[in-house]
Amino acid sequence: MKIKEVMKREVISVKPTDNALDVLNLLFKMQISGLPVIDDQGKLVGMFTEKNVLSFILPSYIEKIGNFIYEEDPKSIKGKFAYLSKMQISQVMRRDVVTAREDSSLCEIAKDMLIRKARRIPVIDETGKVIGIVSRCDILKALSKKAEAAVNA
Amino acid sequence: MLRKFIILIAISLGLGFLTKSIGLSSHQAIAISIFSVSILGTLFFWDFRLSFAFLGVSILLLTKAIDLENLIKFSSLEVILFLVGMMVLVGLLKESGVFAWIVSLILRVRNLSANKFLISVIVFSALLACVVDEVTSIIFLVAAIFEICDYFEVDPVPFLIVSVFATNIGSAGTVMGNPIGILIAAKSGLTFEDFILKAFPLMLVILLALIVIVKFWYRKQLNDLDNKMKKLGANEILIRLISVPPEKSLKIALAIFGTTLLFISLHHRLELLFNLGPNTVLLVVPLVLSGCVMIWKWQRARGYIEKDVEWWTLLFFMLLFAQAGTLKFTGATDVLAKKIAYLTGNNPVFLTGVVLWISTIGSSILDNVVLVAAFIPVIQSFQSINLNLAPLWWALLFGGCLGGNITLVGSTANIVALGILEKEKNVRVTFFRWFWVGLTVGVVTTCIVWAALIFLPFYK
Repeated sequence: MKIKEVMKREVISVKPTDNALDVLNLLFKMQISGLPVIDDQGKLVGMFTEKNVLSFILPSYIEKIGNFIYEEDPKSIKGKFAYLSKMQISQVMRRDVVTAREDSSLCEIAKDMLIRKARRIPVIDETGKVIGIVSRCDILKALSKKAEAAVNA
Repeated sequence: MLRKFIILIAISLGLGFLTKSIGLSSHQAIAISIFSVSILGTLFFWDFRLSFAFLGVSILLLTKAIDLENLIKFSSLEVILFLVGMMVLVGLLKESGVFAWIVSLILRVRNLSANKFLISVIVFSALLACVVDEVTSIIFLVAAIFEICDYFEVDPVPFLIVSVFATNIGSAGTVMGNPIGILIAAKSGLTFEDFILKAFPLMLVILLALIVIVKFWYRKQLNDLDNKMKKLGANEILIRLISVPPEKSLKIALAIFGTTLLFISLHHRLELLFNLGPNTVLLVVPLVLSGCVMIWKWQRARGYIEKDVEWWTLLFFMLLFAQAGTLKFTGATDVLAKKIAYLTGNNPVFLTGVVLWISTIGSSILDNVVLVAAFIPVIQSFQSINLNLAPLWWALLFGGCLGGNITLVGSTANIVALGILEKEKNVRVTFFRWFWVGLTVGVVTTCIVWAALIFLPFYK
C-alpha cells in the first residue's frame, strides 16, 4: 500500500508571514498540534507545532540544569507570550521537516515517524509542492485494516 | 571560507619555510607548521578543529617528525582520563539536581539588594568554577541571573558579563577549575596543595579587585536594580520558583563529590604515604569515584560516558597535546626557549612578565588550552638553562584564565553565556560593549598577578 492511498489531499496550511500567536490560537481551535507552513509558491518551508511554542516560551537551559521542579511559573513566560504576539511563524517554526513522497510505502513513513518523532508528515511532489499530508492515525488505521482483512480472508 | 583556508595554509607553510631557512631541522619546521595549523584552525575553523588535528597528527607520523610511542606519551592520556572522570561526576551531579539546588540557593537569598546580588553572583560563579568546569558553572549562574533579572525587570547583560568574569577568574583557583589547571599540574608537578596555597588566595584578591571595578563600572545598573527591588518588594515568587526533590540520590551524589574533593585535596600526602609517583592519586581519584558511580547507576553508565563526556573536545585536546609534544620531541621548543631567554637576558622577572602577558593576550583570542599546550614545552625547556620555573607556571595559569575576560570570544564560558543570552533574550552583545570592561578587568587583574609573582617571594 502506498502513501497516496491514505494521505489527506486537502491540506490546511499557514504562511510563514502569519502571526505566531494567531496560528497558535488556530491550533487550539482546530484541536491539532501542528500545521505545515507553505510559501506563496505552494512549497513547504517548515512546520509550526505546539512543541515549537513550548520550547520558545520555556528557558532553553532547563534541560541542562538537571533534576528540579517548577513550583511557580517563571515571570519570563508572560514576556515571551507578549513577544510571540509580535512574531511571524517563520521565526518559531521548525525548518528541518520530515517529508514523504506519494509513492512511499506505509511502513517506510511509519519508520520515519518513529525514528524522527514526527506526528504528521507532509507529502510533496518533485518540485517541493505540498500535495497531501499523512498522520500517524492514517497510517495505523490503514495498516490495521490491511491486517484485519488478511485475518478474515 | 576558501580564502580563510588559503590564508591558513599559506601562513603555516610560510612558517615552516621560514623556520627551516633560519636553521631549524626539517622535522622541527614540520612540527611548527602543523601546530600553527591547529592554532589558526581554532581561530578560523572552530567546527573543523578536530579534522585538522587528525590530519596534522597523521602528517607528523608519516613524515617521521614523531614516532607512535612518543605520540602516545605526549598525548597526556592521564589528563584526558582525569577530565573524563570529572565529566562523569559532573553528569551525576547534574542528574541528581545538585546544580538546580545551587540555583535555588541563589534565588532564595533573603532581603536581596543590588549589592548582595552582585556579590552573590561573583562568589557563586567563582567558587563553582573552582570545582567544576567553567561551561557547567556558567549555565547555572546564567539561569539564576535570568530568573532574578526577569523578576525585577532589569537588563541581565551586566550581571551575565560579571558572572563570566568571575567564572574565568575562579577557574584559576584550583587544579580542577580549568583544563589548563590539570594540564599544568600534570606537567609541572605542582600539587592541589600548591594550588590552594598559591593560586586560590591570589584568585580571591583578584575577585576583590573585580568587585571594585564592576561596582564602579555598572553603578547605574546597580542603582536601577535597587530601585526596582524597592518598588517590587521581596522576591517571594523567586524564593518558591524552583525546588529540588530531596531524594536520597542527591545526598549520595553530594557525598561522592565531597569525597572526590577530599581525596584530591589530600593527593600529595597520600602519594608520599604510599610512595606513589607525583600526581598519581590526583589523576586516579576521579576515575575511582566515577567507576563507583557507574557501578551504583549501572543502567545509566553508558549514558554518562556517551552524553556527559565531551569526546569531541577531549579528542582535540589529546591530539593537540601530541602536536605540542612533537615541538618538544623535535627540539623546536628548546631553540625557541633559548631565543626567548637570550632576548630577556636570562632575567627571571622579565621572563615571568613575558609569559604572563603573552598568555593573557594570547588567550583573549585563542582557546587557552591551545596556548598553554604550546607554552608548556617551552617552559620545560627553560629548565635546561637553569631557570626557576615556579613563577612561570603560575604566570601561565593566570594568564591563560584571565585573558579570557578581555574579549567576548576569550573563553568557552563567554561564548556559552552569550549564546544563551541571544537565544533567550534575542540580545546580541557588541564586541565593544564587552571589550572596554573586559580590557579593564583583564589588565588590572593581570597587573595584580604580575606584582604578586614579582614581589612576593612566596611564588618563587
